[in-house]
Amino acid sequence: MADSDKIEYKPISVREALTEMKDDSEIMIDLAYSSALFNSHELAEEVLELEKRVDYLAYIIDMSTMLAARDAEDAEHLTAVISVAAATNKISDAAADIASIVLKDIGIHPIVRKAFEQVEEQLARAIVKPNSILVNKKLDDLELAAKIGVDVIAIRRHREWTIDPDEKEMILEGDVLIARGAPHGVDELKALAAGKLRKLE
Amino acid sequence: MALTEKHFKKIVDKLVSLKDTSELMIDLAYSSLFLNSRALAEEVEALENHIDDMHTEFELLVLSSGFKPEESKDFLGLIRLGVVTEKIADAAMEIADVVLRGLEPHPILRLVIEEAEETVTRVTVSKTSPLVGKKIREAQIPEETGMWVLVIRRGNWWLRPRPDTVIKAGDVLIASGYAEGEADFETLATGVKPQTNEES
Repeated sequence: MADSDKIEYKPISVREALTEMKDDSEIMIDLAYSSALFNSHELAEEVLELEKRVDYLAYIIDMSTMLAARDAEDAEHLTAVISVAAATNKISDAAADIASIVLKDIGIHPIVRKAFEQVEEQLARAIVKPNSILVNKKLDDLELAAKIGVDVIAIRRHREWTIDPDEKEMILEGDVLIARGAPHGVDELKALAAGKLRKLE
Repeated sequence: MALTEKHFKKIVDKLVSLKDTSELMIDLAYSSLFLNSRALAEEVEALENHIDDMHTEFELLVLSSGFKPEESKDFLGLIRLGVVTEKIADAAMEIADVVLRGLEPHPILRLVIEEAEETVTRVTVSKTSPLVGKKIREAQIPEETGMWVLVIRRGNWWLRPRPDTVIKAGDVLIASGYAEGEADFETLATGVKPQTNEES
């Protein structure tokens, strides 16, 4: 953590904390690679923000599991929880490492961009044009995941980023979408956002 | 010595493999935990050894690319990205380790996982299997058996099944689904019907 805030114990359930940690760490990896691919300091900073949240959750899990152990047998079982939380935290650390490469301007070799054209899960950035059929549609109405196998992982509106947008989020003209999915799916999304593709099925 | 096109391509390919493999490992590691499956955890372990070798090859390729001093920042970035994939792979291994150590999952983990009714099975595709030469899409494995192929191991390669992936003899298919589908799945992959007591 950048600053060592005092961690106060709060009774979040371990289940909730672990589920959130897992989701956060996975989105962090995608965002971090996106920040490298699109050379975006802002996205890299969002990754570091999420990292703070994950660190906090990791502490909460440690505290809760300590409180939950009543005897040696309990403690033994709970080590599994701690191991999984620690590993998940490590994944988010790895994402933060990528963000640091971007923030410190260490350099993104052209090889990286070339490689990202060939990976299984592709990342894309798309600007929503006024004539796009995506304008004024909610994410859950668009069903992008079901229809074209693409997830919108972040939206930039003016200077504001929304990370892991809610399904109720409305896409507006001028939004910058960061998405991930299969190659043909992200191409379709780009065409939809550009207003070149008028049908989503 | 400048970076040749061939050398460039080699580094790209290695980085692609590192990234894809590390992400596949995370998926398999969580699946091994959720399904409490030793078989999947063992795959993660095999992948961990594999990715270590790949990472070394990647670093050697980067270091031997003959970059100029002014390019060193970009190449440092490459090395660091490689380290990140390695770190992700290690984290995946730690999750799989929980399963391999045979720790009884704590009720809290069970809640996260929810009680899994599914099972994981590993089968080698025999030469006589009707699956040989078929694309995943055509093979209709879920329709026939109720099991989903999570990953295909082909020698030293692990492939994520895509609709267009062609199944070959010798492939090891790792699938999850309800236990009732397991026998059907094995029959399909081995091409051998299990012995029954019925006389024809």
